[in-house]
Amino acid sequence: MFSQASHNSRLTPVEPVAGSTELLARISELVGGLSPDKVDLLKAFHRIQHEFGYVPREAVPLLAGKFRTTPAIIYGTIDFYSEVRLAPSAETTVEWCSGPACLLKGSLNIRRALEAILDCEMNRTSADGKFGLRLVQCDGTCHLAPLVRHEGRYIGPLTVSESIEWARRLKGEDGRASTQDRGAGAEEEPPEAERLVETE
Amino acid sequence: MTLPRYKEMWQQAEDVWARTARPVRTLIKVGVATCSRVVGAEETLQVLRSEVHERAFDFEVMLTGCPGLCYAEPLVEVVQPNAPGILYQRVTADKVPSLLQAVAEGGIAQDQQALAVMGDQESGGLPALKSIEFMRGQVRRLMANCGVTDPENIDHYIARGGYEGLVRALGMKPVEVIDELKKSGLWGRGGAAFSTGLKWEFLYNAKRKPKYLICNADEGDPGSFVNRNLMESDPQLLVEGMIIGGYATDADKGFIYIRDEYPLPVERMELAVQQARERGLVGENILGSDFSFELEVVRGAGSYVCGDETGLLSSLEDRRGMPKIKPPFPAQAGVFAMPSNINNVESYTNVPLIMRHGAEWWAEMGSEKHKGTKMFSLSGQVQRVGILEVPLGTPTGEVVMRMGGGPPEGRKLKAVQPGGPLSGVIPASDVDIPLEPDPYRERGVLMGSGGLVILDDTNCIVDLCIYFEWFAEDESCGRCTTCFAGTRRMLEILRRISSGRGRLADLELIKLLGNIAQNANCFHGQGAPTAVMSMFRFFEDELLEHVERKRCPAKVCRGLVRYEVRHHSDRLPAAEAICPTNAVVRDNGAYRIDQLKCIKCDACREQAPYAIAVVDEFATA
Repeated sequence: MFSQASHNSRLTPVEPVAGSTELLARISELVGGLSPDKVDLLKAFHRIQHEFGYVPREAVPLLAGKFRTTPAIIYGTIDFYSEVRLAPSAETTVEWCSGPACLLKGSLNIRRALEAILDCEMNRTSADGKFGLRLVQCDGTCHLAPLVRHEGRYIGPLTVSESIEWARRLKGEDGRASTQDRGAGAEEEPPEAERLVETE
Repeated sequence: MTLPRYKEMWQQAEDVWARTARPVRTLIKVGVATCSRVVGAEETLQVLRSEVHERAFDFEVMLTGCPGLCYAEPLVEVVQPNAPGILYQRVTADKVPSLLQAVAEGGIAQDQQALAVMGDQESGGLPALKSIEFMRGQVRRLMANCGVTDPENIDHYIARGGYEGLVRALGMKPVEVIDELKKSGLWGRGGAAFSTGLKWEFLYNAKRKPKYLICNADEGDPGSFVNRNLMESDPQLLVEGMIIGGYATDADKGFIYIRDEYPLPVERMELAVQQARERGLVGENILGSDFSFELEVVRGAGSYVCGDETGLLSSLEDRRGMPKIKPPFPAQAGVFAMPSNINNVESYTNVPLIMRHGAEWWAEMGSEKHKGTKMFSLSGQVQRVGILEVPLGTPTGEVVMRMGGGPPEGRKLKAVQPGGPLSGVIPASDVDIPLEPDPYRERGVLMGSGGLVILDDTNCIVDLCIYFEWFAEDESCGRCTTCFAGTRRMLEILRRISSGRGRLADLELIKLLGNIAQNANCFHGQGAPTAVMSMFRFFEDELLEHVERKRCPAKVCRGLVRYEVRHHSDRLPAAEAICPTNAVVRDNGAYRIDQLKCIKCDACREQAPYAIAVVDEFATA
């Protein structure tokens, strides 16, 4: 049982493989000063991801050497955490909150609409590589539910129609591409009452 | 030795705090926390600073934390010398110039939404903050500094009694500190409700060194955000709690593990630890005593099971955050196989209060069996989303219906989910049970960490259970078959039911899966079916309606509803325009919905609510 805690089997450090020397040099620089058994691996991921937007594959063997473990364990760890990514994000990534408050207020409808407009499934990138949808966890900004985030901005509370219009502007289909926020608390004019039209 | 040093520190801090507590010129406080940042509080603060500078007002602008009124943010408090502060709600950057103008003229800004007067006396036609529905009945102990002090200024914390508890603890023996905790009756606030004093004693009695003290700030439960608010509005409280914990358990180092989704709490906790270190409150020979304690903030990377105590340990050990098998318990072999103790943020933050005011004072609040106060966050179908602190044992309905305002106008409460996706739900008929673990446990529900999520009659219980099972499946670490495969089968069955292909045998299968899930190693697997089990217990009729009659009463389950044009209206062109899949089509002047194209996103009905109706897919006339 205790063997669990003595974790990473100490193997011979693995030599870095593929990748440009500059990239590897930069990664080494970023993780310089970090060492095994000092709660530093998460720090390494964050530093690398902060710099590149993702963890390049070339970093895996390098980290394995640094943390005296195998590339498989490093890869497995990266794969385990949903916020550590192995591929760069799309040019424009829309983050969709999956939390319960958003769900109860109809976020699934918004998800379906966004997937249709951006032509992209959740956690995937559209065929042209321009748009990405990412599922994110609730961070307790539930007064804006249902919400989406874009470039660090929170947009909500959204109706499905608003989200569609917003996504179309983002895509540039409907006039100029714009990421204009609906200002918080902005009062919108109530629409005129719907009039039924008699049909035969 | 410790006391004179502290006195000196307190005196300096008091001088700094006096400028805020008894301002000689107009003081403007802006609450900046995660919840207010997303509605533009940072812009408000920036514009306030530049306007005050440009127009040469003799005002002081100060940053503060969040008082928990998320629904009214961004909040700005204006304090005139010798007068109670006035709290304005929804002060976005564009409202700043007129607010400043009114303040300069010495009045209450009429065109702004003044919410209340700080304190307990009404004045100038405004209610006292303590008397507004959201605040009445709250007891703010943990949150005493939230929205009051500057979270980035340690002096504010010290001047308001901070680190007094530490000084008192350092004057006692570690066992005495533990005894005081046991006397208070504090139990873990993370969900398991185990005695904190007892847990600390286990670590104290462990022989090997070094020992570690870990704070679980991986508040992964979606819909819970109480720990976040404490860490970003009063980070020093947690620092002090951890130091006292370190002293009482003879620990050498503390880790505060904060989830990746909380960048601001990470920032503020790091700053708080650094400030405490500069004052000699963290590090070698704390306050001149022979006690030394190191503290480090660790940022997670987005994994829910790292919020399980042993999962967190694995994560700290540079590995996948997979929960370990117990025993050995963390007090025997925790992080790096050394004795460790893990507590929730709220458990640690209660400790300074107990040490400062004594166990008797602390235990005055709360119910017979469960002492103290507890923070809760309200979200979902509730009018006032926010964070509140009430004595344990307060009726749930009081918090949800009165303070939170209940569901939006015209809707009925359906259920309350008390804390996290693994906690289960209670029905509206049980809403008056006290907020403490036992009454919930009797109903097969866990009170959890305090994230109350409210459902109303527009929500479908099957839909919610699908969400919970999806979450449990998605976040399963993959160790136990009953968890990673069990939740997946459960999810498949529930999705089948919601798509109209449910069969009666499914109900037995779900119960079977729920039973075998108990064999999972950690609470994630064991708790995964809780919500589904409470659906069986409290909402069986609704479930049977889905299975037998293929009907979703709330008209949410996608496979059981269909959109149809029922009337002709002048809004149908708008519905046609909004449809993302061109499913609203016009044939010879009449509109209809192409069912093959329709993704059931509800946008067309939003545009033409009278003309387009949601009908049962398998309607029986």
